[in-house]
Amino acid sequence: MRVLDRKLLRTLWRSRGQSMAVAAVVLCGTACYIAIASAHSNLELTRSTYYAHYRFADFEIMLERAPLTSVFRLESLPGVRQVRGRIVEDVNVDLEGADEPRIGRIVSMPDRQEHVINDICLLEGRYFSEGNPNEVILSKRFAEANRLVLGDRIEASIDNKKHSLRIVGIALSPEYVYMIRSVQELVPNSERFGILWVPQEFAETALDMKEACNNIVGSVEDPEQLDAILERAEDLLKPYGVFAKVKAGNQISNRFISDEIKGLEVMAKIIPGLFQGIAALVLLVLLNRMVRKERTEIGLLKAYGYSSRAVAFHYVKYALALSIAGSLAGFAVGQWLANAMIRMYVEFYDFPLLRSRVYFDVLARSMAIGIGFSLLGALFAALRAMRIRPAESMRPEAPHYAHRTLLERVPALWRRLSFTWKMIGRNVSRNAFRASLNAFGVMISSGILIMGFFSLDAMDYMLKFQFEIAQREDVKVSFQTERGKDALYEAARFDHVRYAEPLLQYPFEVRSAWRKKDIVVIGVPRGARLQRLINAKQEPVDVGATGLTLSDRLARDLGVGVGDVLTLKPLMGRITKERTLVVNQIVEQYLGSSAYMDLDTLSRILDEPFAANAVLLRVEPGMERDLSRHLKDVPGVAAVEVKADSLKGLQDTIEMSAQISNTMNIVFAAVIAFAVIYNITAVSLAERQRELASLRVLGFTTQEVGRILYHENFALCVVGLILGIPFGAGICRLLVSAYDNELYRLPFHLDTETFVTATVLSFLFVVLANLAVRRQIRKLDMVEVLKERE
Amino acid sequence: MTAQGPSITGAAPKAVFRVEGVKKDYRMGEVTVSALREVTLEVYEGEFLVILGPSGSGKSTLLNIIGGIDTASAGRVWYRDDELSAYGEAQLTQYRRHHIGFVFQFYNLMPNLTAEENVEMATEISRNPLPAREALRLVNLVERGGHFPSQLSGGEQQRVAIARAVAKQPEILLCDEPTGALDFTTGKVVLDVLNEINRSLGTTVIVITHNASIGDMAHRVVRMMDGHVRDITVNAKRKTASELEW
Ligand SMILES: Nc1ncnc2c1ncn2[C@@H]1O[C@H](COP(=O)(O)OP(=O)(O)OP(=O)(O)O)[C@@H](O)[C@H]1O
Ligand SMILES: [Mg+2]
Repeated sequence: MRVLDRKLLRTLWRSRGQSMAVAAVVLCGTACYIAIASAHSNLELTRSTYYAHYRFADFEIMLERAPLTSVFRLESLPGVRQVRGRIVEDVNVDLEGADEPRIGRIVSMPDRQEHVINDICLLEGRYFSEGNPNEVILSKRFAEANRLVLGDRIEASIDNKKHSLRIVGIALSPEYVYMIRSVQELVPNSERFGILWVPQEFAETALDMKEACNNIVGSVEDPEQLDAILERAEDLLKPYGVFAKVKAGNQISNRFISDEIKGLEVMAKIIPGLFQGIAALVLLVLLNRMVRKERTEIGLLKAYGYSSRAVAFHYVKYALALSIAGSLAGFAVGQWLANAMIRMYVEFYDFPLLRSRVYFDVLARSMAIGIGFSLLGALFAALRAMRIRPAESMRPEAPHYAHRTLLERVPALWRRLSFTWKMIGRNVSRNAFRASLNAFGVMISSGILIMGFFSLDAMDYMLKFQFEIAQREDVKVSFQTERGKDALYEAARFDHVRYAEPLLQYPFEVRSAWRKKDIVVIGVPRGARLQRLINAKQEPVDVGATGLTLSDRLARDLGVGVGDVLTLKPLMGRITKERTLVVNQIVEQYLGSSAYMDLDTLSRILDEPFAANAVLLRVEPGMERDLSRHLKDVPGVAAVEVKADSLKGLQDTIEMSAQISNTMNIVFAAVIAFAVIYNITAVSLAERQRELASLRVLGFTTQEVGRILYHENFALCVVGLILGIPFGAGICRLLVSAYDNELYRLPFHLDTETFVTATVLSFLFVVLANLAVRRQIRKLDMVEVLKERE
Repeated sequence: MTAQGPSITGAAPKAVFRVEGVKKDYRMGEVTVSALREVTLEVYEGEFLVILGPSGSGKSTLLNIIGGIDTASAGRVWYRDDELSAYGEAQLTQYRRHHIGFVFQFYNLMPNLTAEENVEMATEISRNPLPAREALRLVNLVERGGHFPSQLSGGEQQRVAIARAVAKQPEILLCDEPTGALDFTTGKVVLDVLNEINRSLGTTVIVITHNASIGDMAHRVVRMMDGHVRDITVNAKRKTASELEW
């Protein structure tokens, strides 16, 4: 067997360019799989240990105000394991030297440390000490971003009163792994938003909630029973104004992590098959050509007494060698990528123990997948080699008969083609499999590119839609309770304000037949200019005097369309009367899913002549900061948000993370396109050496000879793109439907630029492959090639 | 007596090629194989030259150097007034393109193109080509123009190859064992075609062969041996292809 092995090594070396291209595809597939599958295992495991250790709640109920005694009643419901009533409230935090407002979320914790639900993980300092209610434990990143350390004091304004709190601890919580205040924020901004864990005693006094709570978290025995339990909990808590029930699956932080984990899982399933499948196809082409070329040698070997199996295994070994080499290199690159991914996750997620690990089961699986696919690729050639009989191998292979192509049915056209194109036409139709594989490579490669660019396009569009097209205010002022017209006038009279528009957000339960949901109805004035509604045709529409406007996701969840009737019941306040309303129109919404109606009508439903709990302002450019500083201290103002501030960083963060993944996508697309095109062209060149050399003898330049191969590749690239663009768009559609939930939804939006870039890059990959082939054409030895028999 | 060919008028014949002291060595590790030891030769305009010699004597090597698909290790080669041995790769390509037609033992047709398309291919790159049909008529194959090489016999394929070489209207036609793969009758047809091209178009034709009797067709016969030109003979009377005895 030694001789055969030496032959194998020589073959590998002689066709090193091609071998390396195949191994590179295996490498990419392996690396990609290892990175994604390791990140998946890592995140999944980290999350579940973290959740278990710190008792992440199965549900959260938000209400106006419930006595703590009701919480005990809830705990005695069958199936409920543990419940905790707490006080949660967003407040303004004043920091010395900071001009932007900070929002701190007060979350009450037991005065003395206990094993509670949604516990905190103390990183530094200590828990509250007895008899010192003015102590606070800060979330880690907020402290870091604002350079706050243990012992520092911060001021929280609660109900227009300032409370000075001393920092005694720095902590993390399973509730805020992905720390965003609301889904509208999309990415964490640790400087502007953080958690203030305070003793229950402090929260009760400061927020005037003696022996009461406004937020209940709990765990259940069996998550399957969650819906039923929440129904009963709601009945029990009815008098206390329940306005939202959130299951763990829809808890904001958890939702974002779950989607990320789910995305990784799906990718881990698709990626290896894609890359290794392509590697297998290329191997198939390579090995088939090799067996065909070495027919006589195979016959001779068999005549010498080598068994068919030994000879066939020789070709299998070639495939195995490439696959194993690619896999081993892929291990290294994959682990490096996995570490990079974990570093990126550490940027976005607050886990106490997220660090790079090596998952040997992932490595083993990726190796097995790689080997499995390469065997598949080698199978065909090995069988062919087994079938060759020594006697017949000495005879020349039966000549193939060229045949006319479809194009020739149109003689007028055919006659006009240069001989280059005639050769290409016939070659493509003769080697249809290879040609299709070539186009397929471009299709996959451009699909990957489009999919990669899509994430950025979609995010960009989402931001543009949300912050430019729909919400056009500069500053949003939220009040603590509903206010009358005077509040609007007052806000409008502030310096630098150009235009003010009221907003009323109120929680309702909506029902349609058996379907029921707790939602926020947003009242906007007719002819609203700052909070606009946009329909599916991307046109702004008016809210209408009567009836409801629904976001499309909400309409889908409720199973209703325009003209259907919904029943609405306020979830807060003294009014409990139910109303029925007709759905007027459906509008687009990507972040959150709400219902809209005319502000006046909504006020009347709440039995008020006019009510608003927020005002949107248009401000003279550059004056937002000034204004917000003044507004913050106005009695009754709960929060002031400057849109430019929320947008700042958001775009950069998204762009940065998209750039990382786009670079990877481009590399992968390039490797696939290059490996496929280069290998197929090299095989084709080897097969047609004689033809091409005789063209050189006739006086064709290398460029002219090359054109026959190059143009074929360009033509197939066009075909690949024609297929790849809809293919890529199809994947994006799949992504859109995969990332579609109550919290957020991806817009199906692809910039023209994306298609142009994908097209240009695809052509560039073809040019690269052609350049690699060009070197071989240059080396064509006319004398040598023509000396051999045909 | 000067070794001269077609000049019947007695005027000094014009040389198309002058080969002076050309050597060709192949280095194979330790040993050096000399394919051409020192060849000096002139080829005249319009002549039909046959090169004879045993296998390995350097015939193909010489022809390839003259035809610009190979280069000499030493010595000089002139094509008319230009020194071929000083040409670079690009110049050699242009030289082959415009002045040389090659015919090989194996026909080297494009399997993907029909006979006519194979000829058209050559016409696309030359300055003053014969129309493809015209070229096919010269080799008596007009009616087979639409056939693919695999549908033609060996002799027919060789004639297509000749048509392809001739369609460029080259000044010189270089044929390396054009009948090597053909039987007696078919071989004669092919030689007849070559002779006709030499006669009617005035193309200088050089034919390499193992078959000494073919020498009778030539104006001159060059005999090679061990990388040398052993002797050159001039035929007082030329035979036609049909008169040859195989
Ligand atoms: N690439 C090469 N490497 C080494 N030696 C070579 C090479 N090509 C030719 N030779 C040697 O050069 C010598 C002349 O070869 P050439 O092909 O010119 O002979 P020939 O006269 O055409 O023979 P034949 O009649 O068999 O075609 C031979 O001895 C041959 O072995
Ligand atoms: Mg020879």
